[in-house]
Amino acid sequence: MCAEVVEIRTPFHQFEVGFNVIIDLITPGTRVLDLGCGSGTLLQRLRDEKDVEGCGVELDQDKVIRCIERGIRVLTLDLDEGLEAFPDLSYEYVVLSRTLQQLMYPDRVVREMLRVASKSIITFPNFGYWRIVLEYVFTGRSPVCETHPHPWFNTPDIHRLTIKDFREFVRKIGAKIEKEIHIINNVPSNSTFWPNRRAEWGCFLISSA
Amino acid sequence: MPTGPIKEYADSDGLYGRVDTQCADFEGITLESGVFLGPLRVAYETYGTLSPERDNAVLILHALSGDAHVAGIDPNGKLGWWDAMIGPGKGIDTNKYFVICSNCLGGCKGTTGPPSVNPATGKPYGRSFPLITMGDMVDVQAMLVRHLGIEKLHNVVGGSMGGMQALEWALRYPEAVRSAVVIAATARLSPQGIAFNWVGRNAIYCDPASATADEKHSHVYQKMGRGLAVARMIGHITYLSEETMEAKFGRQRKLKDMNGISYSLGENGEEAGEFEVESYLEHQGSSFMRRFDEDSYVIITKAIDYYDLEWTYGSLANAFQNISAKMLIMSFSSDWLYPTVMSLAIVRALMATKKDVSFVELDLPYGHDSFLVNAGIPSVTRILRGFLNGVR
Repeated sequence: MCAEVVEIRTPFHQFEVGFNVIIDLITPGTRVLDLGCGSGTLLQRLRDEKDVEGCGVELDQDKVIRCIERGIRVLTLDLDEGLEAFPDLSYEYVVLSRTLQQLMYPDRVVREMLRVASKSIITFPNFGYWRIVLEYVFTGRSPVCETHPHPWFNTPDIHRLTIKDFREFVRKIGAKIEKEIHIINNVPSNSTFWPNRRAEWGCFLISSA
Repeated sequence: MPTGPIKEYADSDGLYGRVDTQCADFEGITLESGVFLGPLRVAYETYGTLSPERDNAVLILHALSGDAHVAGIDPNGKLGWWDAMIGPGKGIDTNKYFVICSNCLGGCKGTTGPPSVNPATGKPYGRSFPLITMGDMVDVQAMLVRHLGIEKLHNVVGGSMGGMQALEWALRYPEAVRSAVVIAATARLSPQGIAFNWVGRNAIYCDPASATADEKHSHVYQKMGRGLAVARMIGHITYLSEETMEAKFGRQRKLKDMNGISYSLGENGEEAGEFEVESYLEHQGSSFMRRFDEDSYVIITKAIDYYDLEWTYGSLANAFQNISAKMLIMSFSSDWLYPTVMSLAIVRALMATKKDVSFVELDLPYGHDSFLVNAGIPSVTRILRGFLNGVR
């Protein structure tokens, strides 16, 4: 989708440890729906490490094929076109990892997640991170980091939300934050000082209030 | 279980080697219409070895014009219709699976159908063959599977009409299928599909050379008229995408002089076609005349027309209630005959009934036939191999 990659300017760490954070949040033996599951890395780990019965949703054809090759259940569906085909509370967990900022209608999708599963796990890059903010302030340009290497005019990351934005959003849709974990420099923590400016990734466990 | 090297993807090369079509005879079957049809013969081929546990059987379900010869080389040197997918190390690996493919009920390649002799008259059934349904075809396949001593199939897989049968297998015989792959199919033939079939049958009905059942004593396909060829041409238009036609033929003409335009309909006005796309259709039509039976075409397209699970069961969710197989639904973005939305209707109903369903829409430009054309083989190979591997 985004062929053009420009010079990386903004330091921002990969999500690596994020998978462990998500896996830690999930009770063994449950059913997990992974929205934007990529090639099924998380679902495979959940199956192997936590005996989870997983299902992924992914649009990219090669990634879908990769899932099937890994023996992972997968559906080629567009999240923005809705999850109405999933029955109410058909999963214990629904995961939306690193995808929220790319959805056309994040509010619709998150509301649907709350309907489909009792618990939702959402992770996203925190665009309130101080280095990103400094990029705007000092260079006057949009940030370009290794994890999000696309220029503003051709990026899948169409929403540049912050941790604070997300908390407000959860309150606004009447959901409840059960757990909030921040990742800085690949270290997760749930008692970060000033997370909105210091955290690179936000990881939230939410449920309908 | 013996396994050999895996091929990333394969060509139609007859790697499996020589195969012969076999026959199984049964007393008969009571059709969904209530009519009893018997005796019943089923033509089939098998590849690979059935495991001692009898748990590695894969049943291949052919489309409208297919037959039991799905892989390897027949006594006439002809390659199977899905040879690129089935064989040692291929997508459906005959080193691993015991593969079965049978000619469908109503067909003309060995299984009881219109060309078979009606014991009551001593003549071929022809168009007096009783009308059948997708369910009847599947019931006959189930008789064969039991005859082969198999209680549970590892997988049933089919495209187009074969996909309808794979779906029908999963809901009709939930205890007998561990997994099902439904490729480029629909749970309900669209009015557009019915319309194309109707035009195809009309081409046959309008043909003065088209024989009626009573007059027919022997079955020499070449003697039949052009109606079947026209029906096949119409079919082929629906199997290809606009994009493929453009890429394959464009507006290319056979004639190279006169700027490629003849300004003539040919001698006696019997136009032979000037454009490459016309030659292609002509070739498809006439070769089909030599290998297929027009009454089988009529009977099978009627069965496809009748296929409507919503009508039969009240709703798709109702139809799918008893399914216990792991399901894989596959569609092609360029298929306008059985487009993705039709596969999605199946997927949604399976999801609503909380079945184990995967859905893959492949972005391939070759239309309805994408699963058969060589360029579509690599992706389909990866998917089938992976899916079959994951079935426990």
